[in-house]
Amino acid sequence: MSSSSRRRLVAGCLSILLGLSTVMPAAAQDMIRFGTALSLTGNLATEGKLVREGYDFFVKTVNERGGMDVAGKKYKVEIVYYDDESNVNTSVKLYEKLISEDKVKFLLGPYGSGITIAVSNLTEQHKLPLVIAHGAASTIYNRGYKYIFGVLNSIDHYTYNMVKMASEQKLTRLALLNENQLFAQLGIDGAARQAKELGVEVVYKEKYSSGTKDLSPELEKMKAAKPDMIIAGGYTNDMILLARQISQVGLKPKLLGYLLGPTLPGFVKSLGADAELTLEPVQWSINVPYKDQIFGWTARGYADAFQKVYGHVPDYHPIQSTAALQVYYNAFQKVGGFDPQKVRDAIAETDIVTAYGPIRFNDKGQNIAKSMSVVQIQDGKPVVVYPADVAETKLKLNP
Amino acid sequence: MQLVAQIVLNGVLLGGFYACMALGFSIVWGVMNVVNLAYGSMIMIGAYVTQMAVLQLGLPLAAALPLAALATFTMGYVLQRALLNRLAERSVFMTLIFTFGLNMALINLNLILFSADVRSLPDVFGRASFTIAGLSVPYGRATIFAVAMAMTLGLHALLNWTPLGNAIKATSFDPDAARLSGIDVPHVYALTFAIGGAIAGVTGALVATSYSFSPLAGESYTMKAFVVVVLGGLGSIPGAIIGGMLLGIVENLASLFLDSGYRDAVGFTLLLLVLILRPRGLMGRRFFAEVKG
Repeated sequence: MSSSSRRRLVAGCLSILLGLSTVMPAAAQDMIRFGTALSLTGNLATEGKLVREGYDFFVKTVNERGGMDVAGKKYKVEIVYYDDESNVNTSVKLYEKLISEDKVKFLLGPYGSGITIAVSNLTEQHKLPLVIAHGAASTIYNRGYKYIFGVLNSIDHYTYNMVKMASEQKLTRLALLNENQLFAQLGIDGAARQAKELGVEVVYKEKYSSGTKDLSPELEKMKAAKPDMIIAGGYTNDMILLARQISQVGLKPKLLGYLLGPTLPGFVKSLGADAELTLEPVQWSINVPYKDQIFGWTARGYADAFQKVYGHVPDYHPIQSTAALQVYYNAFQKVGGFDPQKVRDAIAETDIVTAYGPIRFNDKGQNIAKSMSVVQIQDGKPVVVYPADVAETKLKLNP
Repeated sequence: MQLVAQIVLNGVLLGGFYACMALGFSIVWGVMNVVNLAYGSMIMIGAYVTQMAVLQLGLPLAAALPLAALATFTMGYVLQRALLNRLAERSVFMTLIFTFGLNMALINLNLILFSADVRSLPDVFGRASFTIAGLSVPYGRATIFAVAMAMTLGLHALLNWTPLGNAIKATSFDPDAARLSGIDVPHVYALTFAIGGAIAGVTGALVATSYSFSPLAGESYTMKAFVVVVLGGLGSIPGAIIGGMLLGIVENLASLFLDSGYRDAVGFTLLLLVLILRPRGLMGRRFFAEVKG
């Protein structure tokens, strides 16, 4: 090969490379990338999968419609996923990678409060928005952070509607009991504050140690305080024991609510009659009456469309994920571009209605527009009984 | 006063359950110097067997209980004969590591077979209770207490009045002398582990009826059994009863008089006190611990 032809070859290659390099940014401009690390393996894998399905469902829906419509242009959506193996330290490393190596500007929350707290330290440092779909601990939002936004109700708001029900039912003596553990403590402390606000007297409030095998000392004391409503918080094992012993010690509250339990698998089956008429607040149910202003579907419409793709009815996990992406979408449209700081400011001003519920943030980044629905176990089935515009059926009091 | 009496009674009932639970752990530790960290998982297996027997085979609880015991007895025998005997008379750390690993394997096996869902048998005893001297006793807890006491007496009889019991005790004191007297030591070890397993199985059946269980819940039972055994004394049957009741009563009184959050703290403080003042446990004999070194 002559030197001139070699030169021509090199020039040709160069021009191809140059050509590519001018084409590639153009492609990247039409593609918006989000990033997240989820618990795809490890002990939170079940939830991690549901979370991912909700994110993916947004991507699929939007891309099928040609992409996100921002300032008269269509942008396809892509999410960069990593697996945090249900481990906090791994998660932080992966978010670091998303930010510094993958250059992702728009971050989606991981699964779980503990991991979210750690990750948000990092995203705040980088001044990048983090829209949280699955971190309910109020401690996430109480640190004065400016770049975090949670679409879900945080734990300290869980019991609000249950306490409100109590006050509407003229139940005035509330007993509170929780496992000595952060999640339950935040929830039950929230209930105590709400009781004060709504004029319900807290006649008993205590905590017990995790994994206890006998709650009768607590319950005997509670019984002496004569409550007409009990709200308890803790993990399922203890809540099953509690439900049994409440009836064994002869406590007969008009209403019995749990932070979580009644809608979890195994609770109703294990407890039978003792599960009847118990209450639990839920983030979302298929009956919520909201019509999505971005996609136009109702909660039920969302569920149907989701089921067609993934073959199962969504619980609240997927739609929470989808809502987080809708918050970004709305902000992009407001800004008409993708400058992270401007997007962050637009997110702070969010005021939208989604099939998940209305979304509006306070200055801590908590969604204050939505409230929890309350589910009651009736004839062994969970049905929504509160608030009235969501209720499938009427609340029943214990005789 | 009524309240305190009720709480103490509840503590006694709880203590009976603790004692029953600790027996299987105690005998294995006392005789073979094996701290069985998989004990809680064996209790969980007993609970799963009971649940399957009741819900899927439609057996009454009275029939499901021996079935659960048989399942964990067999499991115990096979484990000891096939695996643990190879480590017998080695350093206690070897068996600790082995049972730690075994526990992880069993937890994950249970997770695969039964999922992580929390389960429990519905309303076997109902909410009913009877009254003694103005104190109410739920049938469920009373039954657990009765079964626990029956098992304790049964084990006492087995160890003291049968040739097998003598063989177990002899092996425990001095395996070499036992071997020279014609005792089949590996067989005795395997039987001892199997008896411990059977007790775990029965405990599991009781757990299934009154508590809830999941693959990961076993560890809290191992922990409680450990505390009761150290309190009462290694390998001692009366020790397990006294340790169990003491722990049950003290925990409940702590919940009543202090903040309930201190329940475990008080339990472990009691354990520390006993360890400082009477290191061999309340009813423990010096001999056991020293022979095993």
